Order: sequence, then C-alpha cells, then structure tokens
Amino acid sequence: MTGSFRELRFLAKDRAALLWLGIAVLVAGLSVFLGLREVAAQRTVLNELIEVDRAERDVLRGLHQDWGDVAYYTFHLTHDSPSDFAFAALGQRDTSPWKHHIRALALEGQIYETDAENPDFALIGRFDFAFAASMLAPLLLILLLHDLRSRERAAGRYELLGATAASRGSPWFVRAVLRVGALTLCLLVPLWAAGLLVGTGAAKLALASLVVALHIGFWWGFCAFVDRFGWSSPVNLTALIGAWLALAVVVPAAIESSVETAVPVPEGGEVMLTQREAVNDAWDLPKSATMEPFVERHPEWADYTQVGQSFEWKWYYAFQQVGDQIVEPLSRAYREGRIRRDRLAGTLAWLAPPALSTRALQAIAGTSMADSLAYEQRVRDFHAALRGYYYPRLFRDEVVSDASLGQRPEFPVVGK
Amino acid sequence: MSRILTIAHAEWRLWLRSRLAFGALLITALLLTSTSVVTALRMSEAHHARIHQQAVAEATFLSQPDRHPHRMVHYGHYVFRVPPPLSVIDPGVDSVTGQSMFLEGHRQNTAMFADARASAELGGFEDLTTALAYQLFLPLLLIAIGHGLIIREREETTLVPLLAQGVTGTELYAGKGIALVGLSLALLLPLAVMCAVAVGRGAAPLASAGVIGLYALYLLVWCSLILLVSSVARSRSLALGILALVWLGTALIIPRIGVESASSLIPVPGKIETDLNMQAELRAVGDGHNASAPEFRQLQADLLAQYDVTRVEDLPVNFRGVVARAAEADLTEVMNRHAEERMALEAGQARFAASFGWLSPVLAVAAGSRALSGTDLATHHRFLREAEVVRFDFVQGLNRVHVEQLAYGDDINRNIDAEASKRTRMSAENWNVLDEFTFRPAAATERLARASTPAAMLFAWLLMLAAIGALAARRVQP
Repeated sequence: MTGSFRELRFLAKDRAALLWLGIAVLVAGLSVFLGLREVAAQRTVLNELIEVDRAERDVLRGLHQDWGDVAYYTFHLTHDSPSDFAFAALGQRDTSPWKHHIRALALEGQIYETDAENPDFALIGRFDFAFAASMLAPLLLILLLHDLRSRERAAGRYELLGATAASRGSPWFVRAVLRVGALTLCLLVPLWAAGLLVGTGAAKLALASLVVALHIGFWWGFCAFVDRFGWSSPVNLTALIGAWLALAVVVPAAIESSVETAVPVPEGGEVMLTQREAVNDAWDLPKSATMEPFVERHPEWADYTQVGQSFEWKWYYAFQQVGDQIVEPLSRAYREGRIRRDRLAGTLAWLAPPALSTRALQAIAGTSMADSLAYEQRVRDFHAALRGYYYPRLFRDEVVSDASLGQRPEFPVVGK
Repeated sequence: MSRILTIAHAEWRLWLRSRLAFGALLITALLLTSTSVVTALRMSEAHHARIHQQAVAEATFLSQPDRHPHRMVHYGHYVFRVPPPLSVIDPGVDSVTGQSMFLEGHRQNTAMFADARASAELGGFEDLTTALAYQLFLPLLLIAIGHGLIIREREETTLVPLLAQGVTGTELYAGKGIALVGLSLALLLPLAVMCAVAVGRGAAPLASAGVIGLYALYLLVWCSLILLVSSVARSRSLALGILALVWLGTALIIPRIGVESASSLIPVPGKIETDLNMQAELRAVGDGHNASAPEFRQLQADLLAQYDVTRVEDLPVNFRGVVARAAEADLTEVMNRHAEERMALEAGQARFAASFGWLSPVLAVAAGSRALSGTDLATHHRFLREAEVVRFDFVQGLNRVHVEQLAYGDDINRNIDAEASKRTRMSAENWNVLDEFTFRPAAATERLARASTPAAMLFAWLLMLAAIGALAARRVQP
C-alpha cells in the first residue's frame, strides 16, 4: 500500500505526466461541452422546424378543394431527434440527413435530399467525445507510458528499482495502473458530469465507460508490449506513435477501400435517374400501363382504375407510386449495400481498435450508420402511411373536409 | 559553407544507418506513394464516370419525344460536378458534398449522393488522401527523425568536440536544418509526380506549382519548428514530448475547435428551414401553373393593354406560358436571394474556421491546398451557381417555346381528349434549349489569390520560427 502512495506522490510531481493528464481533462471537457451545445442547437432547430412546419400546414388548410392538390402541396417534416447520449458521439448526423421534408409524391425522388451543413466541417470533422476517447486518448496514453521503464533505465535506476521491489514487475505495474487509471478518470469524469446534466441513461453511460476503459486497456497492453524490448524513450515513442498511425489511420483506410471493393453499391444517381424516367414516361403511356402495376400492389382499388379524362389526380399519384415500384430493386440494392458495407466494416473494425471504439460509442449514442438507415426506414414507413391516408380519398373522390384532414397521419416521434 | 554541408551530410548518413530512421522513412515513403496512387485512381475514375454521366444526361434530355413544353420543365435535367484535375491530390469536399444535382422548374434542389453517405464509418481518418497524408502524417515522420537533431549531440556529449573544432552554433543549426529540409523536399517527390500527372490531364501548371510550393512551405514550417525545439529542449524525451503536443494541438485539436466555434458563432439555417421560411414569399409570387390566380391579374392587364385586346384568347402569345415564365423569374429571384444568403453565411463560417490557421499551420495548408486544387467550398458554391444558371436557362427556354409556339386555345383544352392533348405536344427539336455543361473550377490565378491568405499564414509561421531559430542557434552551447 505504501508503495502505491509513494507512486501517487511521484505522479503528482511528474510535470510531464500532469501536463498530459491536464490535456486529457481539457480535451474531454471541451468535447462534451461542444457536443452538448451542438445537440442543444439541433434540438432548437428541430423544435422551430416542427412549429413552422405545423403552421405551414395550417396555412394550407382550406386553400385546396381537391385531395390531389392537398397531397401535392402539403409537406411533412420528418426528423430524427438526437438521443440523450448523442452529445458524446455526433456520428452520422454530420453527413447523413436527420430531417426530411416529404410529401406524397414518389419517395425515391425525395429521400436522398440531404440537408447537410457546411461541407468544410464534415471534412475536418467534429470535436466530440468519441473523437477524444478514440483518437486522442491513445496518443495521450502513449505519451504517459512510453518512458516508464526507459526513463529509469536512462537514469541508471532501473536495476536498483527492480532489485528492491517486492516482486520484479510491481513498481512498474503500480506506476502504470496509476497513470492509466488517472487518464481514464480524466476522460470519463467530464462525460459523467455531462451525462448527469442532461439525464443520460445510466446503462448508456456505463456501457460507454466500459468501451473507453477497454480501449485504453488495449493501448496499455500495447505500450507494455513495446516497453519490454528495452528501447530508449524516443525509440519507444516513435514506435508507439507509428502504431497509432497504423491503427487509427492506415488500417481504417485500408478497411474502407476493401469494404468498398468487396461490397459494391449501385450509384445513387442511378436510382434517381431510373425513378425520374419511370415517372415521366407514365405521362405518355396508356393509363392502363400505370393502373395495372398499381393494382397489383393495391388490389383494393381494382374497381376504381378507370381514368376518364386525360388527367386525373388518382392516376397521377398511381404513377408516382409505380415510379417507386420500378426503382425498388435498385433502391433496395442501394440500401442493402450500405447496410452490408456497414456490417462488414463493423467486423473488420476489430482490426483497428480506435475505429471500433468510435463505432461502439456511436452505436450507444444512436448516431451510427445503422441508426441513420433506421431513420430512413421510418421515413419510408411514414410515407407509406401518407399514401394509405390519401388513396381512399383520391380514389373515392371524397370532399376535402377539416374532419378528414384531422385524420392525416403525423410523423411519429421515436424516443431514444 | 562546406562545414554546413558536411554536417548535413553526416546527418543523412546517420539516418541511413539507423534502422529506426531508415524504417520510418521507408514506411512513410510507401504510405505516401500508395496513398497517392489510390487517391489518383479513385478521383480519375470519378472524373471519367461523371463526364460520362453528364453526357448521358444531356443525350437523354435531347432524345425525349414530342411533349408539352411544361412537361419538360418537370422532367428536368441532371448536372454533375466533374472533379478538377488537381483533385487527384486533394479531393477536398468532393466526398462530403453531393456530386450530382437534379434541376427542375420551380425548385432548387440540393446536390445529392455524397460518397460519405455510402461509405463505412471507421473513426474519421479512413478517407485518407494524398493531401491528408502530407498535411497530417508527414510532420509525424519529420518529428520522429528530427527531434534529436541538436539535442542528441548534447546528450551524447559530441557537442563539445564539435564546437571546440570551431563549428559555430549557427553553422551547426544550419547544417542540421539543411539535412531535415533536404529530407522533406525528397519526400515531396510523390506529390510532384502527382502534380505532373495532373498537369498532363489539364491542370493549370500555375496552380500545380502553387500546390508544390504550398506544401514545401508547410514542411519548412515543421522543419524549423523541430529544429528549434531540438536546440532548446533539455532532453530528447522532452523535445519529443513538446513536438508531439504541438502536433496533437495543431493537427487534431485546433482545426476541430475552429469548426466548432464557427458552427456555433455563425449559425446557418438548414435547407428545410430556408425552404419553409421562403414559403410565404413564394406564395406571394403565385403558382405559375394557375394563370387565373389573382397574383397574375396585373400581368394580364398589362399584356392585354400592350397588345390592345380584351381577351387573353386574342393575345398573340400563350398567356399560360407568359405566366409560367414570369412566375419562374420571380421565384428564381426569391430562391437565389436565399441561396446567396446561405452561401454567404457558409463562406463566412469557412473563413472564420480558416482564421484558426494563424494558430495551426495544418489548418492553413489544408485550406490553401483545397483552394489551389479547386476542391474547396468556394468551388462547390461555384458549382451550385453554375447549375442554377443551367436550370434557369433551360426552364425559361422551354417557357419561351410555351409562350411563342403553343396556341393558348389548344393549351387550355389539352385535357379534353387525346387529340387535344396531342396538339399541345411541341416538337422535340425544341429541347435543344439545353446547353452543354462541363464544370470547371475557377481560373488558376483566382485560386492562387484564394490560397494567398493561407500561404501568408504559413509564411508568418516560417518567419517567426526562423527568427527565433536564428537567435537560438547563436546560443547553442555545450
């Protein structure tokens, strides 16, 4: 026990170690602070948008006497609210959409719109806790641990220390444990504080802490391994930073290009083009070319497929739907390709612990690629519900009424 | 002078003999070369693919059958942002912004299908490019090899004999400096090769030379920093620690702090927000599909007076087309105003974030490199503006066909029967209102001008470090 206290005193006097630990606190604190701000800003934007969107629909109410016009002009806001842990890992929210403005026209023409922020930002990246814990923390740990033994060797105390200690490894082990523990706490305390502040679920915080601890544990093991070779401090540090470079950058880059080669994804533009052709061709085709495939999907409207005039709204919406149907295989391949890429990357990420840690934190925060795709699915479901609402009114040629408008589906808010 | 070169030469020999230095060098050279090849292959593939897609999109538009011209307005067109030749070095915002855009009447769409949306998430550094390898990781190698340049002589007690032989501190400093700078310049070779390749593919030689110059300047900044730290630090470990800290701060932390502060200090409303806020203004313009809407009464009265007739049917032009054209012009005015506001805000954000380049040479070189390569935010904005010009031109071209060639009587009766509908179909020859579109970045001189601020930042860093270095060199003592 006295040994531990002595080591703690050493640590408290080691200015370099204190500097690295101080940076760790600063980095972790700043990252959660910025994350909290960003999530608060996203919430504000969403709340405002929800208001404006509702007001906009109220303005439209009563403006159109025809269900076709109503469906054409009414947009609906769909959104993916940030979870209570999103502040720690902003993840896909930077590049993938978390809000869509859709209407009952062909969905494939709308769902790929991205309301992205400044591309310069997505390029440089956000400063969130996931970045601090997955990318910066290993470097700080390396700086803390690289000269544990080599420094004593250089000072000529190594053999003496080893000889006077109770067991051969003990002083080094205690020294390392203290530093690793201190670094872990420096990272996690700000996270916990932020979690308490916004009421993050305890399970999420515990899981995230476990991820951080395991990730740091890995790098500890790696540092200990390199330390065994008995190199000098600068050589140790160079080798360890080289390893960081390999595991944080080179291996992920290699994984990314192999995933992209292994799992081809159809060009997104292809989906759009096909959809546009299908929808536009319908204007020139006989009405039956639209109504037949439509009825295959919706047999309940089989008795309503006569289109008397050269333009009727029900036919217009039917070919919007048929446009989606035609592009369905391509669109599914695009979606499934992205899912498969994500899964494969998830498996291969075990080769690159920093990537694995980032992915794990994003999964806990609900900001992973899978979450982004799940949101896309919710938009699809909602769009289907909108169609389900408009079709009976269009096909039976009902009168637009306030009561009927009151039954229109609203985008469900999903708690995370 | 010969003494300085001898010192540099001795340093190079040492690196070649040291397994660590040699290994690190070899790995870096390999990394730079393979990254360059991979980036170049990817971007030139994208280049060809998008040129092809653009040609296909134009051919498809032109091959559309006879139609009501307004149907072609909604049929729309696609434009693709072809990556400029220098993107083989720095793809910049290419992967995070959509590369294609759907152009149609009455709407300004966003660019769609950013690569980043279909690529795997692996921590943020997985999109390794040549530019990134030079900006972020080459300095690490220089640190690993160069941190001990001067301090090593002191630690190994070879400094006393050196100085006793009459070598001055400044000579030692200069010799070591030349050694490190020489290495850096050698490592610029893959970049120079890629620049030559880019020039072969049509890149402006001026901009390409600018890229090499910018990165040379950047590496000089790192060399002078490393040399300085190596001469003032008390131990190799300390020197390495300080340099690692500077790298951590300038490469990983400050750029992201810049992004975060820009995004919270200069909020930019999103596309949906802008669209929603625009709705009231757009409604005031009126729906161009509905020629009898109250918003167009004045237009109708003016037109009737101009042609001295009393009924729209008697006008020599198609009133529905006139309304469509006027509404499009007014809508576009509103949409452009909002788009310009948004782009101005985004550019302001980018400028603010880039001003952190005074604190981080990494951020400065990144901004300069994107500007020179024609892959920066300004170039993306240029694409958006050019695409809008294409959109407005073909839509109004089609509206002109609607106004001048389609009889009003046929137009209002188009839904009566198939025959009536056929009469409103205009010949497909009219679709040649569409211009060919090839996206090109701004002229090299303009890009050089945009890169001048980042270059000035780097130059200021170099000047400051060299000045302190000159002072420190005179004080090199055993």
